[in-house]
Amino acid sequence: MSTSVEAPAIPGMPAGKVGVWWFLASEIMMFGGLIASYMVFRLGSSGWHEASAHVSVALGAVNTLILLTSSLTVVQAFAAAERENAPALRLFLGLTILGGLGFLGIKAIEYTTEIRAGFTPGAGIFWSFYYTMTGLHALHVLAGIVLNAILFLAARVRTPRRVELAGLYWHFVDVVWIFLFPLLYLS
Amino acid sequence: MESGRRHPNYVKIWVWLLGLMAAGLVATLTPGGHAIGIIVIFATATAKALLVALNYMHLRFEPRLICVIALVPVVFALILAIALFPDFVFRR
Amino acid sequence: MNQARAGTITAEAVEHHAARGFWRTYVFSTDHKMIAKQYLTLGLAWTFVGGLLAAVMRWQLAWPDTAVPGWGEIGPEVYNMLVTMHGTIMVFFVAMPILLGAFGNFLIPLMIGTRDMAFPRLNMLSVWTFALASLVLFVSFFVPGGAASAGWTGYPPLSARPAYTGVNWGLNLWILAQALEFAAFLMGGVNYLTTAIILRAPGMTFLRVPMVVWQQITAAALFLLSVGPLIAGAVMLLLDRTIGTSFYAPEVGGDPLLWQHLFWFFGHPEVYVVLLPALGAVLEVLPVFSRKPLFGYRWIVGATIVAGGLSFIVWAHHMFISGMDPRLAMPFSITTILISVPFAYIVFAMIATLWRGSIRFATPMLFALGFLAMFIMGGLTGIFNGSAPSDIYVSRTYFVVAHFHYTLFSAVFFGGFAGFYFWFPKMFGRILSEPLGKLHFWLTLVFFNVTFFPLHHIGLAGMVRRIANPLQYEALVPYQWINVVSTVGTFCMVATQLVFALNVVWSLVAGRRAPTNPWEANTLEWAAPSPPPHLNWGPALPTVYCGPYEYSLPEAREDYLPQNLDPARAR
Repeated sequence: MSTSVEAPAIPGMPAGKVGVWWFLASEIMMFGGLIASYMVFRLGSSGWHEASAHVSVALGAVNTLILLTSSLTVVQAFAAAERENAPALRLFLGLTILGGLGFLGIKAIEYTTEIRAGFTPGAGIFWSFYYTMTGLHALHVLAGIVLNAILFLAARVRTPRRVELAGLYWHFVDVVWIFLFPLLYLS
Repeated sequence: MESGRRHPNYVKIWVWLLGLMAAGLVATLTPGGHAIGIIVIFATATAKALLVALNYMHLRFEPRLICVIALVPVVFALILAIALFPDFVFRR
Repeated sequence: MNQARAGTITAEAVEHHAARGFWRTYVFSTDHKMIAKQYLTLGLAWTFVGGLLAAVMRWQLAWPDTAVPGWGEIGPEVYNMLVTMHGTIMVFFVAMPILLGAFGNFLIPLMIGTRDMAFPRLNMLSVWTFALASLVLFVSFFVPGGAASAGWTGYPPLSARPAYTGVNWGLNLWILAQALEFAAFLMGGVNYLTTAIILRAPGMTFLRVPMVVWQQITAAALFLLSVGPLIAGAVMLLLDRTIGTSFYAPEVGGDPLLWQHLFWFFGHPEVYVVLLPALGAVLEVLPVFSRKPLFGYRWIVGATIVAGGLSFIVWAHHMFISGMDPRLAMPFSITTILISVPFAYIVFAMIATLWRGSIRFATPMLFALGFLAMFIMGGLTGIFNGSAPSDIYVSRTYFVVAHFHYTLFSAVFFGGFAGFYFWFPKMFGRILSEPLGKLHFWLTLVFFNVTFFPLHHIGLAGMVRRIANPLQYEALVPYQWINVVSTVGTFCMVATQLVFALNVVWSLVAGRRAPTNPWEANTLEWAAPSPPPHLNWGPALPTVYCGPYEYSLPEAREDYLPQNLDPARAR
């Protein structure tokens, strides 16, 4: 992921982008495996509707809004980097980081409320899946925040490529949530 | 670098994403058959995911190999999901 | 500065990088060749441990009522641990680091004509992560309760409830070590795939890439795409064990069968992840030592990709007797029979490569031929395992053990040794002793068959896997002599490896210096010095003019045509 002295063997495919997409492919398989397991368990048994009624659709919807908007801000950051507009780059990266922190904050509120109400991970199979899927997702959000923070703190305008790659990861995290929200909150 | 590449209108895509999310929420809150609600929710989710993947992740503009790398795992994950149906959906 | 992408560099740059002190050269190195040797060292170290565990297991099976020398009496719990750790170590800590980590890292940049991997620092991180995984797994032997003992397959509920195995921390550390190992090879996989896609030298089109590279990147892709669901499943298992989730607990709505599906969805592609690099090494050795082009290169590439794709839809053939829906048996039997077709093609292509060639029976070739013969035998027994009706009888018996040792051992040992003897001169700049190599081959071949062939018979007679004392079953008592034969074979086979160890140590210290191209081969690594310097090539990268298997061309001066030989200057 550093400056290339020579053109890559296939034009339009820098090393970092190919590498990140392969990594995302493995992540798609991991979340895919989790989601597939959840789906078949859910479809195959009853009583889940009752358990899932205890998650807050409102907070989940707010989180979805936050992540969708942060996808916008991170891709605007990339566009700013391409135009070599350093203040705009930092603004949009900053907004993205704030969005991520907001997401994690709301998740923390949700978890606290739910655990206080007695819905621990051991409270039933729905809750096992809920905590595991959202927890793993939240860890990925945290990693994305760290990544974006590193780019934010870099003193000068990075090549747009690095921001694009960080953005790819962030969009992936957003897409996973796009599916987790209906699966866990709206079904 | 790809600075010559055209960008989609990122804000316009965002508006569509919000609209689809609203549609999904409305579908759950209105009491029309449960099955229709589920279909609408997942259809809008898929649409949102495609919008993000094609436009924000630039898949619309990338070489074909990148699209293959993105698509193949989705297919395999679907195969896994379908293969799990007999043991977990049809049995219980 | 990314040296890997620097086409033209100065001689000063090469020298500056060479003089970097002990720690940066041998420990904190980003050079793919050094990282390869680090993987090799770790893999060879684990081979000792895995082999020792096997020897103890085999002693127990042959003489169940005696104490193992140096170990003591083996009860069922300890035996379970031996079986578990032997499998885990051999697959994840021997086969993968040696075949993928060492061979892949060393060969891919050299064979495609570039200076290093696309992400050298990620490469270093991957081997350090693997070293950490090794440490965690090693420590798990010494924690209270001992190492994991729920099988290398780790099925719940046995693995999900510490009360069932008596092992708590050992299993948690086992899961953690696996997770780290997966992370290491995911990093490596990303590196291999990206490097092969974008860093090929001028003239090195995809269809001029040596077979080793095709096999390595297919294996990397298979691993990358299959490990995800298992990571999900392993997270679920760890949470079941620690915070009380109920994914695999039927009494709270979970299902142990889910683990089996998630595990084998990965587990089947994993065996091809282990096989393909070995196949690549053998496919590289056969043309060189037959002085003939590889037969059907494009079709082998196609067959490899087809087999790789099919490997994602055969997994439930490991689950025919698991209690899964019986309606799944036929589709998975069909896909399993189908997958034998591309592999059969590859085997036929190997034979066709040999046909009417000028065979040179050097040690690498002997091991390659040994691979071919043993792999065919393993593949044939696979047919009985892959069809549900026959598998219902042989599953969980030693027939399966024989099958997968014939295939896996062929890959890891015969294929691995073929590659090791072949590339040793390039890696270390020394020649291995031919007489010792030939002795190593013949003894290994004979004792391998003594150890594993009889297991087919005892498996069909009804000896099941993972039992510590066969004599507890009256029906098996007349067959106990087979267990003794197999154990004696094991000890002889282990002892034979001393010949190999002696050969390697002696050659490293006092062996003849290797020329650049001792085997008169075509691929690009043989154009670099033995061993290649840091940054591999001199001031300029090589240019490629032809495919890798141009042997015995009528119009060429020699019976081989290096890929970087400019035809205009070779007249």
